[in-house]
Amino acid sequence: MPNSVRIAAGQGFYGDSPRAAITIALQRGADYIIHDALAELTLSILQKDRQKDPSLGYARDLEFTAYNLIPMCYKNGIKLVTNSGGLNPYGAAKKVSEILNKQGIKDLKIAVITGDDVFDRLNDFQANGLTLSNIDTGKPFSEVNFPVTHANVYVGAKSIADALAQGADLILAGRVADPCLTLGILAHHFNWALDDENLSQEGLNKLACGITIGHLLECGGQASGGNSYAEWPMDYPLHNLGYPIATVFADGSAVFSKLEIEGGCVTKNTIREQLVYEIHDPSHYITPDVVVDLTHVTVEEVAKNQVRVSGSLGKPRPENLKLCIGLHEGFMSDMIAFFSWPCAYEKCQKFIQAVKDIWANAGLSGIERAEFQLLGLNGIHGEAAISASPEVLSEMNEIGVRLVIKHSDTKTGSMAFKSIVCLGLNGPPGLTAIPGWGKENRTLLSLWPTLIPRKLVQTTVHCAKASEYLQ
Amino acid sequence: MKVRLIEIAAARSGDKNDVCNIGVLAKSAEAYQILKKQLTPELVKAHFGNLIQGQVIRYEWDSIEALNFVCFQALDGGASRSLRMDTLGKNFSSHLLRLEIEI
Repeated sequence: MPNSVRIAAGQGFYGDSPRAAITIALQRGADYIIHDALAELTLSILQKDRQKDPSLGYARDLEFTAYNLIPMCYKNGIKLVTNSGGLNPYGAAKKVSEILNKQGIKDLKIAVITGDDVFDRLNDFQANGLTLSNIDTGKPFSEVNFPVTHANVYVGAKSIADALAQGADLILAGRVADPCLTLGILAHHFNWALDDENLSQEGLNKLACGITIGHLLECGGQASGGNSYAEWPMDYPLHNLGYPIATVFADGSAVFSKLEIEGGCVTKNTIREQLVYEIHDPSHYITPDVVVDLTHVTVEEVAKNQVRVSGSLGKPRPENLKLCIGLHEGFMSDMIAFFSWPCAYEKCQKFIQAVKDIWANAGLSGIERAEFQLLGLNGIHGEAAISASPEVLSEMNEIGVRLVIKHSDTKTGSMAFKSIVCLGLNGPPGLTAIPGWGKENRTLLSLWPTLIPRKLVQTTVHCAKASEYLQ
Repeated sequence: MKVRLIEIAAARSGDKNDVCNIGVLAKSAEAYQILKKQLTPELVKAHFGNLIQGQVIRYEWDSIEALNFVCFQALDGGASRSLRMDTLGKNFSSHLLRLEIEI
């Protein structure tokens, strides 16, 4: 097709299987593959890695894809754009280069994008009068007493477009906002203006369309039949779910499809379903590059597994960028035990009472909060769950109990569970628990979303051959 | 006559820190009109009881025949600090689909 470009979803989260992306690369099913590795809490996970080893802090599945997906893309002329660099894009480039070097690949050009990490600048920001108020609660950052784990700004598409203009084959970025990975590719390919305060309405609309396409691609298989109520009972194979591929035209319209040889499906329903995912006001979806009005989007099935998406409208980009600060709030520990018929429910209640009494007598004052969830009854929906009738309850085959506590020190987590081990023999009959069903002392993090003026944030692109990252 | 929402709609939910949104997709144009009339934010908030501590805002999305419910203080402080099982609110969709509405 003339003047169009194909962008495929590669992985939808840190840890997602690269199988679909490898198939797309093998089949030359796209010109670009994007991999959005950074969910809101992923940077917190990467921070734990970096604390243990300063050379880490990137999405470690890159180490696997450097053996298969990245060489396959390079061989077939497909460019891979990802924010898997996380907190350490240079570390990611070094690791990937080492693995490529073992395979004799030296000339692949890697672009590293930095500038989103403002961890070291938070004090300066405050000294210069920024309150870094929480956008959800309005509280100023000065009230925070927890240690900061990371602080990253959601940056836009410009650095992606610049890196591609410099000939990058692989882009390793940090906290580039999810849909901006795709917008950067489109801005480069179609020469759309970014970073311009006086864009025409037509220019803004194109950026808005690019964001919409990026939003539809950023969660991998969620736009092609995965996690779908709209297509339930999912009358298609899931084991080989094909990931969505957008063929995008110069006006910003796109046709979504998937490889015919793959499972899953692309329908009006799967696209609608992903369109609403994690959106707040659909007429005002804020991104670093453009504010998007999604309420005029049209979604049409043009053929089997071919869905056309068009009609997003753009409004000028925001003056401020979103900054997400991670805070170490303490620890949590949880444990799961099951009881069987007869009287599964009553046994759970008896068990919970015993646990409460043991903790009270042991004086475990470090427990700040304890929750008791009944798996099979209200584990997922809590107190909102519909109650089971007494007849159903008395005949339940089995019910699980999940104990979960929040605490500020690791000793409390260990003591809390050691103190109730005795219930294996002293408790209600038939307690079934395996040590792997739960975990002590998991780090508990909270996120502090705030805004900072965009002029305080400059991203940098460094583009070089893989071999140059080896030193 | 009452029906469960799952008969006339699909839904997908997700998280943004402590905010959960539930997109409700009508299965037909007729169903969308029923949803617009019956599925109020007050009804949604009541259905979730204390799971949603803050307000629920409803957005109408005519071009794709969907309603989007944005639920504040809904995820026990957000996925990375929540003590819940469903830390990301992925099953807010499931619970909402069980709601009975008048048609």
